[in-house]
Amino acid sequence: MKLARILILTFGIALAVSGAMPLLERILADTKPSVQLSVKSAQPREVEEVTQNAIVRDYTLAWQAIGTSLANNTLQPLNENFAGFALDKLTQRVKDQKQNGLTTRIIDRGHKVEAIFYSPDGAAIELKDTASIETQVLDGGTVIHSDQAQIQYYAVMTGAEDRWKVRVLESAAQ
Amino acid sequence: MRKVIYIGLVIALCWFAADCARAAELHLPQNAVAGQPLSIGTGGSGTLYLVGPGQVIKKEFKSGGNVEIKGEELRSAGRWIAVVRGDTNQSQVFWVKPGKPGKLNFLARPSRVPVARPNVISGVTFVFDQYQNLILDPMPVNFNLSVGGATGSMKTVSSRAGVAWISSPSAPKAGAAQFVATVGDTSVTRVVQQVAADPCERSFHMHVAGHAGNRTVVETDPIRDCSGNPVPDGTIVTFIQTDKTGKSTVDARIKKGTARAELPASENATITVAAGVVLGNELHVGGRQ
Repeated sequence: MKLARILILTFGIALAVSGAMPLLERILADTKPSVQLSVKSAQPREVEEVTQNAIVRDYTLAWQAIGTSLANNTLQPLNENFAGFALDKLTQRVKDQKQNGLTTRIIDRGHKVEAIFYSPDGAAIELKDTASIETQVLDGGTVIHSDQAQIQYYAVMTGAEDRWKVRVLESAAQ
Repeated sequence: MRKVIYIGLVIALCWFAADCARAAELHLPQNAVAGQPLSIGTGGSGTLYLVGPGQVIKKEFKSGGNVEIKGEELRSAGRWIAVVRGDTNQSQVFWVKPGKPGKLNFLARPSRVPVARPNVISGVTFVFDQYQNLILDPMPVNFNLSVGGATGSMKTVSSRAGVAWISSPSAPKAGAAQFVATVGDTSVTRVVQQVAADPCERSFHMHVAGHAGNRTVVETDPIRDCSGNPVPDGTIVTFIQTDKTGKSTVDARIKKGTARAELPASENATITVAAGVVLGNELHVGGRQ
């Protein structure tokens, strides 16, 4: 009898954990990623404090948008935070994922970002980002690939109507 | 006898395991380049997914064959994930590099600039391949600024993380300057309108051109900047006459190179002329001219 109780309790705990884990991962995916920005290497122009704050805010939103869009195959978050080539590429990725029944879950563990170029007229900024990211590719509900890595990204952001938008986002082997 | 059978079984099992492992092997190239064909070695049969930064490629494959990816299919540079689903399930990460330069984003500022000013024109170039991948390896970018076909200033800058920039002085000659950025066979031109600067104090003179009734007509000499370029028509020149009755001001536009104003005749007045922050000569009219 005691053994049966223990078995039922164990089964119950396992069921609760298995149900809670995807929920927890989803919550983590929707949480804003942490972005630390350094502007010491920016040239030829110094990055003003107001611009620094805006870049951190908008780059954070951009990564949140990537997470949401790739996880749900939706385009709206991308349109709000991306422009130009980056928007074209990510839009195509979402469309292809949808067509092939795939989704990508990105568990974002933070970004160490360095501004390496800020244009003389203040219209464009280039960032070098060392991102700690866990990537899971899912076919339906099944994880078919999972890896955790530090990935180096180069991002070019330009000023748009009310925010900075990511115009180029490219990963490179370190 | 039992031992022999046992050994045989073990060998068969190992063989089978090795065969399975071989089937699961995924051979990915180390130097993939965007826009160039790619051959991926697989074992067994199944489906290959290539998940890239800007696209997903899906290919079915059968035993023994390589999966061929056409150059035009592989467009995105960056981190890719190859996933095999079928007899075995396996995944690997590989990298794709950008191709040759094929596109430049060239920002030239400002679009209109006074002549002969140091470091007033900035040119920023982002170097991409034909599939819109930022080329992160250093590339020599040539900047050339010239006016009216004359040989202008030329400078070659090496791009860093996909971007090259210069800051250039404006030429001494007014006109539409061609600002060209070139990488390899690809070049982009922007036009920067170089206009005459402020009038030159040294040559900013006026004189009395005559009298019309009870008015004095004053006129400037042809107004030029310090490089000799005529200041554009329409630029406002201010004439101020001061006498015992007070001050008279006339704002006149430059027309055909000179500015002209009619001021009330006075027995003893001082007339000054200015354009923007530049002052011209001073005239005394009347008894003490």
